[in-house]
Amino acid sequence: MTDTSSQKLKQKRTRNIDLRSMRKAFSLKPITVGLAGLLLSACSSQREEAIVFNNLDECVSANPSASAQCEVAYEGALAEAARTAPKYNTANDCEFEFGPNQCQQVRTSSGSFFMPFMAGYMVSSLLSPRPYYQPMFTSYSPNSPYRYRWIGADGRDFGGLNKKRYSVSKSVFDKKPAVTRTMQRGGFGSSVRAKSAWGSRSGSKGWGG
Amino acid sequence: MLRMGIQPRANWQQMAHEYGFHFHTMHGQAYWDESAYYQFTLEQIERDLESPTEEIQQMCLHVVGKVCKDEELLRKFAIPEGFWQPIADSWRAQEPSLYSRLDFVYDGKHPAKLLENNADTPTSLYESGFWQWLWLENNVDKGKLPKNADQFNSLQEKLINQLKVIAHYYGLNYMHFACCKDTDEDRGTVQYLQDCAKAAGIDDYFVFVEDIGLGENGDLTDLQDQIISHCFKLYPWEFMQREEFGLASIKANTAWVEPIWKSVVSNKALLPALWESFSGHPNLLPAFFESDLPKLKHKDLQANKWVKKPLFSREGANIEILQANAAGLTSLDHANLSTSGPYGEEGFIYQAYTPLPKFGNSHTLIGSWLVGDEAAGISIREDESMITQDLSRYLPHIII
Repeated sequence: MTDTSSQKLKQKRTRNIDLRSMRKAFSLKPITVGLAGLLLSACSSQREEAIVFNNLDECVSANPSASAQCEVAYEGALAEAARTAPKYNTANDCEFEFGPNQCQQVRTSSGSFFMPFMAGYMVSSLLSPRPYYQPMFTSYSPNSPYRYRWIGADGRDFGGLNKKRYSVSKSVFDKKPAVTRTMQRGGFGSSVRAKSAWGSRSGSKGWGG
Repeated sequence: MLRMGIQPRANWQQMAHEYGFHFHTMHGQAYWDESAYYQFTLEQIERDLESPTEEIQQMCLHVVGKVCKDEELLRKFAIPEGFWQPIADSWRAQEPSLYSRLDFVYDGKHPAKLLENNADTPTSLYESGFWQWLWLENNVDKGKLPKNADQFNSLQEKLINQLKVIAHYYGLNYMHFACCKDTDEDRGTVQYLQDCAKAAGIDDYFVFVEDIGLGENGDLTDLQDQIISHCFKLYPWEFMQREEFGLASIKANTAWVEPIWKSVVSNKALLPALWESFSGHPNLLPAFFESDLPKLKHKDLQANKWVKKPLFSREGANIEILQANAAGLTSLDHANLSTSGPYGEEGFIYQAYTPLPKFGNSHTLIGSWLVGDEAAGISIREDESMITQDLSRYLPHIII
C-alpha cells in the first residue's frame, strides 16, 4: 500500500464531503437569529442581480430595448402566480392575509377559490434570451407579517416594498410546487398510531393554511 | 473481521450537536458507540459482502418480475388487490429506486447469509453515510488509525448521484420529503436525504406524513397547500396501502421514492420467494411460506431451528425462534428467543435459523447498503440479545 495513487483509485469510501454543508449549528451560540438563511447563503456562491417591477410598463420604461423580454417575463410570472399563489376558500380569509381588495376570485370545475393579485415580478438576466422571473406578492393587511413586504409564492420574505434591487441565489427562480385547495388531512399515519405509542400532535400552521 | 477497542474522540458529542446528529443516545441508552470498531480485509469486503449484495439485488429484481404477474404470489405477499396493477405499472416503467439495506449474518469466514431486505424505509443511513465516515477521517487525521485505513462506505456520493438520476427520470427540480412526527431518528434520516438532494441540485420541501392533505383535484398536498408531485417517504408502503389515502396516493399522480414496486422487495415474503427461485444459493437461508408448512416433509424440519417472522415486521418485532421436532415446530420457552410487538396479522414466513456471530458479549449484524442496484457500503449493529432490535448499538468499521 505504498502507491497512494492506485490506492486512491480503489478507495471504497466517499471521496470528499463538504463538511460546511453538513453543519447544522454553530459551535458557539450566536447572538442573532435567522441562522438557516445565513448558513445557506454562505454556501451558495452563484448570486444573480435581480430587480422587482410593479408592472409591465415599469419594466419596459426601464429597458426600452428589451420590451419583448419584459413581456415574456411578465406573462410567465402571471402564469406562475396562478399556479403557485396561496389559495383560500373565502374572500375574507384571503383579505385577512393580504388586505382589502387585494384578492381575486378564480372559478374551477369544482367551485371557486380566492388568491392574491400578483403585486409585482422579480426579473433577472433580462437581456438574455431566457430571462429568469418569478411572481411577487405583498400584503396591505394589518394582520399580516407580510405587510408592505415583497413575498415569493412560497412565503419567502425578500424585503420592504421600497427595495427593488436584490442579489439573490439563482435557485429563487426555480419552479415551485403548484398550490391547490386541500379538502382533507390525516389520511396517512393510522398504522403508526395503531402500532406504537407515538401520539400525533397537530403541526405548525403554515402560510395560506 | 476483528473487533478492536479504540478511544472515543474527546469532542464527539459536541460535534454531533454541531452536525445535527441528535439521536446518538436513545431512550437513555447509547446508540452510537465508538469505543470499538470492526476491522475487515478488502477481500472480505469485496468478495463476501459487496459482490453478494449486488447479486442478491439482481435476484430480488427477478422475484419482483415474477410476483407482478402472479396473483397467487401477490396474495401470499398480502398485497391488497387494488395495488396489484399500480405495482405492475411501476415495475414496467422501471421507476428508479433510491436505496435499500440488506441485513446479513457474517462472521468473516463463512458466506454471508441474507436475513432480510429493508428495501422501503431503511434507517441508520446518516450514521452510515456521514457520521462513520467523519469518525474515520478524524481518527486518521489524529494518527489514531493508519493512513491507509479505508471504509466500505460510498453511500453519500452514490445517494447524490442516484438523486440526480431520479431528478432526470422525472424531470423534476424540487421534491417533497416526508416522515412521521415525534421521531428524531426518522427526521434525521430524512434531513440527511434532503441535504443530499440539495447537493444534487434539487430543491427540498418537507411535510410530516400525518399532515399530508388531499386537494380538490385528487392531488396530495403539504401544509402550505402545495401539490406533492414527487415525494420521498420514510413511511412503509404496506402501511400506506392500508390507510385512508392509500388509493389516493396512487391516483394522485404523485411519483414516489421508493416506488411502489419496492413493496414486493421489502416484504418478508421475498425470503421464501427467493428460496423458491434460487434454492441452495450460498447467500440465502432456506425459507418457506406459512401456507407451505403442512406440505413440508418432516425431514425438512428435523433438527433445525426456525425463525418465524411476520410478513411486515420492523426493527425485530414479533420474531420467534422455533424448534423443529416430531410434533412439527414448537416454541422454545425462553424469553431471549422471542420478541413482542404489534405485527403479524398479515401472516408469517419461516426462515432457517442461523446464529449471529459473537464478538465478546455482542451479537453482530451487518447491514449492506444498495443505492440503485449498486453496493454502497456497510453498517454494523451490536446487540446483547440474539435478535437485533431498534436499540442495538451502531459501531463504525474500517478496511485494512
